[in-house]
Amino acid sequence: MTFETAKDFLLRRARERGVEAEVLGTSERELTLSADGGRVEEITHARRGGVGVRVVDDGRVGYASSEALDATSLEWVLDEAIENAGLQPAGEAALVSGRPLGRHDLLGEGLSAEIEAKSQAIVSLENSLRDDSRVDAVFVARYSESESEAVLGSTTGADGGYRNGYGYLMAMPVMKQGDSIKQGADFDIAKEFHELDPTRTSQSILDRVGRHLGATPLATGRYRAVFEPEVTTVIVQLLLMSLSGKAVAEGKSRLAGRLGERIASELLGLVDDPTLERGLASRPFDVEGTPAQRTELIERGVLRSFLHNSDTARRTGQANTGNASRSYASTLGVSGSNVLIEAGAGTALADGLIVTDLMGVHAGANPISGDVSVQGLGLRVEGGEGRPVENFAVSFNLFRLLEQIEAVGTDLVWRPGLGGSIIGARSLQLDALSFAGA
Amino acid sequence: MLTPATAETVLRRARQGGADFAELYLERWRRRTLRTIDGEVEDAVSAIEQGAGLRLFFGTDVVYAYTNDLSDSALGELTDTLVRLRGSGDGSGNGSVDARGAGGLDLRRQSARGLHAPSVAFEQQPKRWRLERLRELDAGARIDPAVKQVEGRLLEWEQDVVVVNSEGDWVEDRRVRTRCAASVIASDADQTQTAFVGPGLSVGLEFFDRYPAATIGATAAQRALTNLRAKPAPAGTMPVVIGSGFGGVIFHEALGHLVETTMVARRASVLSDKLGERIASNVVSYVDDGTTPNGWGSSEYDDEGMPTQRTVLIDKGVLTSYMVDRWGALKTGYARTGSGRRENYTYAPTSRMRNTFILPGEVADPQELFQGIGFGLYAKAMGGGQVKPGSGEYNFAVTEGYIIRDGELAEPVRSALLVGKGPDTIQKVDAVAGDLATEPGMCGSMSGSVPVEVGQPHLRVSELVVGGEA
Repeated sequence: MTFETAKDFLLRRARERGVEAEVLGTSERELTLSADGGRVEEITHARRGGVGVRVVDDGRVGYASSEALDATSLEWVLDEAIENAGLQPAGEAALVSGRPLGRHDLLGEGLSAEIEAKSQAIVSLENSLRDDSRVDAVFVARYSESESEAVLGSTTGADGGYRNGYGYLMAMPVMKQGDSIKQGADFDIAKEFHELDPTRTSQSILDRVGRHLGATPLATGRYRAVFEPEVTTVIVQLLLMSLSGKAVAEGKSRLAGRLGERIASELLGLVDDPTLERGLASRPFDVEGTPAQRTELIERGVLRSFLHNSDTARRTGQANTGNASRSYASTLGVSGSNVLIEAGAGTALADGLIVTDLMGVHAGANPISGDVSVQGLGLRVEGGEGRPVENFAVSFNLFRLLEQIEAVGTDLVWRPGLGGSIIGARSLQLDALSFAGA
Repeated sequence: MLTPATAETVLRRARQGGADFAELYLERWRRRTLRTIDGEVEDAVSAIEQGAGLRLFFGTDVVYAYTNDLSDSALGELTDTLVRLRGSGDGSGNGSVDARGAGGLDLRRQSARGLHAPSVAFEQQPKRWRLERLRELDAGARIDPAVKQVEGRLLEWEQDVVVVNSEGDWVEDRRVRTRCAASVIASDADQTQTAFVGPGLSVGLEFFDRYPAATIGATAAQRALTNLRAKPAPAGTMPVVIGSGFGGVIFHEALGHLVETTMVARRASVLSDKLGERIASNVVSYVDDGTTPNGWGSSEYDDEGMPTQRTVLIDKGVLTSYMVDRWGALKTGYARTGSGRRENYTYAPTSRMRNTFILPGEVADPQELFQGIGFGLYAKAMGGGQVKPGSGEYNFAVTEGYIIRDGELAEPVRSALLVGKGPDTIQKVDAVAGDLATEPGMCGSMSGSVPVEVGQPHLRVSELVVGGEA
């Protein structure tokens, strides 16, 4: 069966058995080409997909999924989901009331270029990195694209589907100058293959990594600081964990109970916008069939909303924002789509530190308390001139940092976040931060 | 899952496209996970996974692709993509037609004989019955008011595998596994301690005859309670007696991985080129056995379609074999050992461990190992750790530990850390008891996470660095 017929089959059988059911079919196609020594050395060509059923029977929820779409497998899936629901303690779960959602193609022909052109692009990126005499090795040079399709239907009337995707060029060179060795990675991401430019990517990676060569230790102290957009991405990712309605419902968000209050500098605005034209994570509806909507999360520093699915909305008594997420094999969660910092007036640093990289944030950050202590790389700016500095640690509390923002950049960088979200980050200027160096 | 005609078409197209070797792997899983917290169901999830992976060798270069669209057209597209990419990305002249690949295949069919087949199939009991077992586990763990939370988990896996290759192998295997685990949190006024116990076997629901659920819960609870009354471990260099069973995790990580051809062929291991040399104390013999009846890491065939075997890695201190997969055999010239494994169709296979353990030694009673130790550590149960793969440098947490004082077992200690280098530690093993035990684990590496057993009898290391609490 196809996803469409599998979905219809499961919904018909669910109705016959008297249970409410929601069927999600998703499939992903991935192509990854890695270059080494002037040729494509590693290839991943993959298709993976399946259907997942979420059954609600008497207020209790059960899940089951299958990557095989024959009738026998689908019958098994429904049996298992119903039986799994029956094991749950009594609950109040319900499916959202659905509606026709249409079929949407948000990708078009953007990734349909010949495979030879893609091979050439990655080989050319690797070659142009190696052409720079400061490049000692290229650990990774990769072109990767992924395309996803989703089909959704429910016994309560949801019915729709969409397709989206993107490609990126990525490389991690090691650069050397005298005794100074620096390794760094960067990438360019776009919805259409032809928007990617190996020469531009190569130049920007060489600039980003090369500027750290000859770095000297940073003197310990408090500095006015600018986080580059790549660093801000990490901050937004951390903040999103506290903005998740699931974290609020489970008592794991420090921001719970602060709706309508100032939680950040009034220069900060943060939105989740799945309706963004040509957005990398745009979608017409979420995995429960709730139509996409633009949600102001933080407006002029004031907390306006959390991200919710129908379940977290019900449990917290707040409005559903249409941020339900799951794959066919997982259970219901919450995630952002295109999460964007709103443009500011620009940053201007005459004396201080530009933080260009933060390392080990996953291990060095506590997403609940917001305490972060990580190693960094940066540029020390004095009299408007920057020089590279290294071997310093920066410690801050995320929630205090939000209040310290004194300028927001006009620059914008998109980077993948967790749960299929894409983060649009800008430079942030902070009045003062503590850095521990030499 | 697969017809001979489809398999032949795919393999022939790959060979005609210039591949020296082609292998098609198909599998279908049925998995169930039931998880309870304090006796109530937290998650109940069931899944069918199904897919195919195609691996082509061009010399020793390997390309891999996978799909779970098993139609002839999807498999054909997969083959063509790999062949095309080799041609375009490379330019070194691959892609010539090899006459040997064009003649059709005489497929030799082999299938599992049921060596590890379950005696109680999953279908024989309803889900309620499983929930009752996890509630027994919960009740078994409630041995003290300090036990605050009990998590029970039951995993059931059924996997059907077909491997077909351009050498004419057609191999079918079936693997059924059951694992039940308890995680217990115990706390008193001062602190919180956790403990995990999780036996697993290649069996069906007869699992619970071998491991009663209440005992699993009680064992985990006892361990958590022991740690609650334990004092911080002392730091220093001292003799260490490592417990049987999961104690073997140290040698799995810091020795076993060093003798996989994945490492050896790239000369990334300090044990490359050491075959025939004495690398361990002569009381140590180390075996990787894919044939252990109903072992958690057992299967009749590996994921490259070769029958598994019992491979003696170290015989009385001398390195006698590596663990060799097809790529490793090609690179090193050593014969394959049935060690090609992968988590599922999304990974190409690499050389991996199966059930790996130190053979029983000559010390009759494990208690004898304590004799003559003035001050040392008994690492009864081990947890996770970290290893640098090239050198075998490791640190592992002791999850249940006791002081040895004047040859006798003394007070419990917590937070001990064993620090060393695998190849050094294995030379300092000076006595091995006869009480071999094995325990299941999941081993993560290049080809994903695969079920393995680690094991050993009680053994003594003459000196080892113990890190305690600062």
